[in-house]
Amino acid sequence: MNLQVVYCNHQTAELALRERLAFASETQLQQAYEELRRRFPQSESVLLSTCNRVELYTAQEEPGDAPSPRQLAQFLSEFHRVPLDDFLGDLLVQTGADAVRHLFEVACSIDSMVLGESQIVAQVKSAYERATRYEANGPLTNALFQRALQVSARVRHETRLAEGRVSIASVAVGEFARSIFDRFSDKTVLVIGAGEMAEETLRYLQTEGVGRVLVCNRSLDRAVALAAAFQGEARPWEELDHWLGEADLIVAATGASQPIVTRERLAAVRQRTGQRPLFLLDLGAPRDIEAAVGDIDDEVFLYDIDDLEATCERNRRLRADEIRKARAIIAEETQTFLHDVYHQATGPVVKRLREEWHSISRSEMDQLFRKLPHLDEGEREAIERCIERIVNKLLHPPLQTIREEAREGTPHNLLEVVRRLFHLHD
Amino acid sequence: MPLEHVTLLCFFASYLLALVLELTQFVRASQLTRWGAILGTAAGLVAHTAYLLVRSRDSQLPPLLSSAHDWLLVLSWLIVVMLLTILLWNRHSAVALFGLPPVVVMVGAARFVSQSTDRILVDLYGWKMLHASLWVLGIAGCCAAFIISLMYLVQHRRLKRKQAEPSELHLFSLERLSRWNWWAVIVSVPLITLALMTGVFLALWSRGSDQPVRLVQTGFVLTAALWLTMAVLFGWLVTARHPGGRIVAWRTIWACGLLLLMLLAQQLFIEGGIHGNMLGRDAPQRQGRLTRLPPEALLAVEGPPLSSGRIAVALRDGPVRTPLDSTRRRFDPEESRP
Repeated sequence: MNLQVVYCNHQTAELALRERLAFASETQLQQAYEELRRRFPQSESVLLSTCNRVELYTAQEEPGDAPSPRQLAQFLSEFHRVPLDDFLGDLLVQTGADAVRHLFEVACSIDSMVLGESQIVAQVKSAYERATRYEANGPLTNALFQRALQVSARVRHETRLAEGRVSIASVAVGEFARSIFDRFSDKTVLVIGAGEMAEETLRYLQTEGVGRVLVCNRSLDRAVALAAAFQGEARPWEELDHWLGEADLIVAATGASQPIVTRERLAAVRQRTGQRPLFLLDLGAPRDIEAAVGDIDDEVFLYDIDDLEATCERNRRLRADEIRKARAIIAEETQTFLHDVYHQATGPVVKRLREEWHSISRSEMDQLFRKLPHLDEGEREAIERCIERIVNKLLHPPLQTIREEAREGTPHNLLEVVRRLFHLHD
Repeated sequence: MPLEHVTLLCFFASYLLALVLELTQFVRASQLTRWGAILGTAAGLVAHTAYLLVRSRDSQLPPLLSSAHDWLLVLSWLIVVMLLTILLWNRHSAVALFGLPPVVVMVGAARFVSQSTDRILVDLYGWKMLHASLWVLGIAGCCAAFIISLMYLVQHRRLKRKQAEPSELHLFSLERLSRWNWWAVIVSVPLITLALMTGVFLALWSRGSDQPVRLVQTGFVLTAALWLTMAVLFGWLVTARHPGGRIVAWRTIWACGLLLLMLLAQQLFIEGGIHGNMLGRDAPQRQGRLTRLPPEALLAVEGPPLSSGRIAVALRDGPVRTPLDSTRRRFDPEESRP
């Protein structure tokens, strides 16, 4: 199986780099897939871009069609206009079984900053659907991503990974906002953005009993829909400055490519409202809130995704047993998946070989029975079973060899030899 | 164990042990040591209470009025009660880490301050009791504000530096600490103000007595100046619109910290504390030991022989008082002779 993934994630690269390499908008993704198809026409590809990672999966039937990791890095560099040297050291490459295992770990949230988070499942699914929409995927990536979603479901069902604080918002609020505010029932939360992350955040804040929810989004319709789902109030984008001053907690989760809340903007608001404690959580990648906002005054507390790393690492250590269980499931599923894929590749040859040999044995037996008409039914059956056993025993060594070779990858050379040796033609 | 055998060292050691156990959380966080610290503090409080009760019983004066030693111990007792209340309510909080050091310092300092009964506290009992009570409650409020502000600054620093909360240093939210700090200052400043006012009244009253108290002296002026700082903090807290929590905490630490330091220094370095310094030079006796009671004051001596240490002296005018400067000292028959 010629599968590889080139990626950077929260473990290898800073948010400042990830946001430069992120595919934030639908337009960007569409253009990226067009460019990938143009550069690597024989290759299937899937892009997975979230706040924690930017990953590019490619797969091909023939090894010769595979783009090199360098070519994929070059694509990222030229597409985002980021010098290659700026991020080459932060890129990782996995191939074959390792690439499969990696995607399974990503889908199961083992590779996520927040262990057990559920958003990643939707993000993997969404990445796969986009690749399908832009006709970038193929049989290999189809099978891989569909299996990844199944493995994710199995891990969540069979382990306790998905228990406790399993969203970035919950970790940020639990670790930091709870240390700032005593309670949320008398607080106003302003959510900037109306996407999936914003929804996930609101879902958590609702369980925390937050007093007033405001949703501000460029598209008012989406803001209205999201606010309605959480008994909140939608506010027009033009009134953002006003509501920035009203809020105690601000969560920004948009797909904007430039910061929405700049230092100057919030400083002007703070001038008007005074120094009330203000908790800001930036879930965007690229970031929605300028880093300098945190320095406006002593009562502004700004956190982005990377600031949660230490807390998430502590949670990870506490749940080492669950991670072990999940990894065992992933190892088993990786083997099964590879076996299935290789079986699919070797299946036609094996089937042809069996059919060919059994066909020969059948025709030989028919000739024999015509020459020996006095044989009764019992004797005929005994001869048939005997010849069948002989054929199976003769077939066993080559089929066993093919199976063994297939465990390490599609045995293209061996299959070709078998085809030529036994004249197996389509 | 008879209560008389409880010494200052007993609860000093208990509090110190509790503090050490609390500090071990930084080396290895454990519920066992956390409970050990709570039990150590509770054991210290029991011994502390017993010690104060015995001293009060023996001197037949409330601890607040008997000596600077007892006054400091009452102050530290109040802080320990507050600490334990918070710990029982939320045993995961690291409040002991901030509260126990001042307690240990106060109990340790109590060992070195005057243990003698204040002569000037014999008359106008009610007013003096009110003065001492207001003073000790106000200073306890100051201590609380100081400790809360320290916790606020530590918590604020962690949040600004975006650090995860260490399990051994669980603190309350900034909002709660800020609220507690506000109340501690708002309550303690009026109490200290009233304490100063009753103190001035008592000083003025003492002019007609044989023990006039001077108001114009360094200790009192400094205390008044620091009270003024507290009053300014109070005024600012009441009138400011959204004062920054960190600024409030810093100002509280400066105001309360200086007041507490001043108070401790006076108790430690001026004989008899602030009252000792305030006594006029022409006073017939220095404040402190009632070593020379007039012979006619001794109307009766009851009970076992004098050397037993359980002597009761009836004064001619007023309630029964003991002239002993400390219940821990054996009575010296020579001292009561004219």
